[in-house]
Amino acid sequence: MSIETKHPASESKQQVYRTTSERTVKMMVIMLGICIVGGMIFFSMWDYWISTPAPVVAMMAGEADHAAPAAATGKTITQDLTFIESSDFRTLAFNALPGEDDNNPTVHMNVGDTVVFNVDNGGISFHAFGVTQGTEGITGIIPGSEIGTMSNALKPGEGGSSEFVAGEEGTYYYICTVPGHREQGMVGEIIIGPAQGGSSGIASPPTGVSHEFTLNFVESDDFRTLAFNALPDEDGHNPEIRVNSGDEVTITANNMGKIFHAFGVVSNPEDFNSVIWDSAIGSMSNTLKPGEGDSTTFTAGASGTYYYICTVPGHALQGMQGSFIVE
Amino acid sequence: MVLELQKPRPIWQIMFSTHHTDIGLLYLISSLAFLFLGGSLALAIRIELFLPNIEGTGQIIADSMTFNRIFTVHGTTLIFLFIIPFASAVGNYFVPIMVRYKDMAYPKLNAIAFWMIPPAAVLVWLGFADFTWYAQPPYSIISAPGPAADMWIFGLKILGVSSVLGAINFVITILKCKHPDMSIGQVPLLAWSFLATSVIIIVAIPTFAAALLMLLTDRLGVSGFFNPAMGGDPIAYSHLFWFTFHPEVYVLVLPAIGMMYEIIPRFSRKPIYSYNSGVFAFVMLSLVAFSSWGHHMFATGMSFTEKTVFMVGTLAAVPASAMHVFNFIATMWNGRIKFATPMMWAVGGIALFFAAGAGGVVNTAMPLDFSTHDSYWVVGHFHLFVMGTIAFGSIGMVYYMFPYVTGRMYNETAGKVHFFMSFVGTILVFFTQHVLGLYGMPRRVFDYPPIPEWIAMNQIASVGAMIIGVSMAIFLVNMIYSSGKGQLANTEDPFGLGGKYYYPFEAKNPHH
Repeated sequence: MSIETKHPASESKQQVYRTTSERTVKMMVIMLGICIVGGMIFFSMWDYWISTPAPVVAMMAGEADHAAPAAATGKTITQDLTFIESSDFRTLAFNALPGEDDNNPTVHMNVGDTVVFNVDNGGISFHAFGVTQGTEGITGIIPGSEIGTMSNALKPGEGGSSEFVAGEEGTYYYICTVPGHREQGMVGEIIIGPAQGGSSGIASPPTGVSHEFTLNFVESDDFRTLAFNALPDEDGHNPEIRVNSGDEVTITANNMGKIFHAFGVVSNPEDFNSVIWDSAIGSMSNTLKPGEGDSTTFTAGASGTYYYICTVPGHALQGMQGSFIVE
Repeated sequence: MVLELQKPRPIWQIMFSTHHTDIGLLYLISSLAFLFLGGSLALAIRIELFLPNIEGTGQIIADSMTFNRIFTVHGTTLIFLFIIPFASAVGNYFVPIMVRYKDMAYPKLNAIAFWMIPPAAVLVWLGFADFTWYAQPPYSIISAPGPAADMWIFGLKILGVSSVLGAINFVITILKCKHPDMSIGQVPLLAWSFLATSVIIIVAIPTFAAALLMLLTDRLGVSGFFNPAMGGDPIAYSHLFWFTFHPEVYVLVLPAIGMMYEIIPRFSRKPIYSYNSGVFAFVMLSLVAFSSWGHHMFATGMSFTEKTVFMVGTLAAVPASAMHVFNFIATMWNGRIKFATPMMWAVGGIALFFAAGAGGVVNTAMPLDFSTHDSYWVVGHFHLFVMGTIAFGSIGMVYYMFPYVTGRMYNETAGKVHFFMSFVGTILVFFTQHVLGLYGMPRRVFDYPPIPEWIAMNQIASVGAMIIGVSMAIFLVNMIYSSGKGQLANTEDPFGLGGKYYYPFEAKNPHH
């Protein structure tokens, strides 16, 4: 180990330290050791680090704090609504200005009923529609009930329709979701009465027949398209399930993809909260991880058209939904 | 001058030392390690883009999620774990010597600032987040999976605090601890670059620190600053981000210019042409750094007036940058230049600085901005800056410091081969990416349609990246081999420049 060197041109009186092979090797061993140990931890947990969605996702999904109906009754109410404005724009309302007939009509329904809103913008400013349980403000809009949004509102003359399924007794409000419009009068009540004929709706008694289905979550390579069993245009894509009311249904769901999924039968395919009949496999915050699978057994309730979806927000819209028909 | 220890000590003593050269050594080694780690991720990206995916062929990385994670960590590593710590390494070695003080002003704070980097690096590297180094909401709030994203946010927070602590230390060292006989107008330009940089860091970083905190609380769902579903505004994040990171561009480039100010006069065997214009340009750049963040966001729907203000604010950086370039050229003019490896890197860096700066003028010109926005042009532009200018200046500085740090000489031939390959590779990759952007290829993509021109240019870029990769391997071997077995260097004049020339840090100082 040479510590000091007398270089001919050197006028230095300082002792010059020079690195040595041993020290360089020691340093390289330390650094390689860090890389190897770190790399082992890193690669062994490669998927773990991306396994949990941000807490805000579950909170946003759970923002609409409303229970799903135990069973849909199959009864559907249709409500036509028109956004109208007074000539000075100070007063806003649905269908008729305050004091006139049919001003903000109240919708009466029972748990399990479905209401279909057909909404038109009959005014000259922008409006948007939604159902909420909140007594003020525009938050807590129930997924699937909205028509247009704050940033993509209904323009004058435009319209649309949406569905809301009554999940529990109480008062809900249909409102204009453009900020301020609710306060100016664009709000009507939805009063939900108790379920008719018990919580099972008009489901048939158990038939003793049982069915088994297997559904696999699949994803396209670019994750843009999601589906059950097979991608669109392939055989077996989102198979339609038909059972009779009262049948026992066992569904096995396997996650064959690379991202997280969860399963549930819902009455409204856009509302991933409205899982019915205890049919859920996993949930938004406790999903099926890639390669995992699980099964659920439940009794099909009242007849009607339902949907089986992936209950991870957004996945149903990307194609993970199929019909579940109860006859 | 001897930059390393006076006598051999066990490595743990160096690690827990608070002496500025020891901490400089730690910064130097860790930042170079991250240069190689981040660079290998860049190669992975270029390999993936070598071919478009046609029916399953040409796809090397399994899926876009993995690609995005590689992509994110590549950017985060090279900016926050290579360029900034490397600047701190050079600052730690040189600034106390240049201002003739025995150490940094706060040695323990200095050690803390370094030791915040390893935990932050562990968070970033273990998590491998997927939302790019930009972390644009709402994706980073709603869709980016945790805990990787949260780890990235914490890691960057720690790195931000570390930069601020380091910056405070530099400002105090330069302004308050310089030798009483030395006026601020005699502080060498390398130290001036650290003063300007540190002031920018202290002003700019807190904004991003706040934005990171807001991002985290948004992810937890307790706030909705940037979450449109809760009434927040993602564009607000862009403003906060760019208010920090446009100035940050100067944080990255000013130390590299300072390093060139150290190298070029030495190897030209001439004093610097104009010290005062160098100081003026540093101060000027640290001011105009704050008048230009909006040019990153012209496409977000700014009014014409706002865009004009930011356009003029950005163009204000041109005269100051040009002053540096003219200063370098005038210094070299008529000098007896010795093209040793550090000088070649510095001169190459100046050439590419000029090219990258010309591209920057195009970016900020409003009408041209829209046609290049979010295309590979932008990737080519800023990489030409960070690789062509900043990394070139930094690597030149590594070669310059090498004999002083190790007492041994690197292999000059290997150093020159490294330079030529990197220079050619850099031009192949990043000039081509400019053109690729003009042909319409969007940035941040995992795959691209098989358009013949795009394929050809992507392949040229990938080949260039491989050339850089090979040259960096030569660099690594050269550094490791030479630090153990290199020729003994004459620490008085390792490059054989001859004569006794002015080293500001050779002034009488019992501690050096």
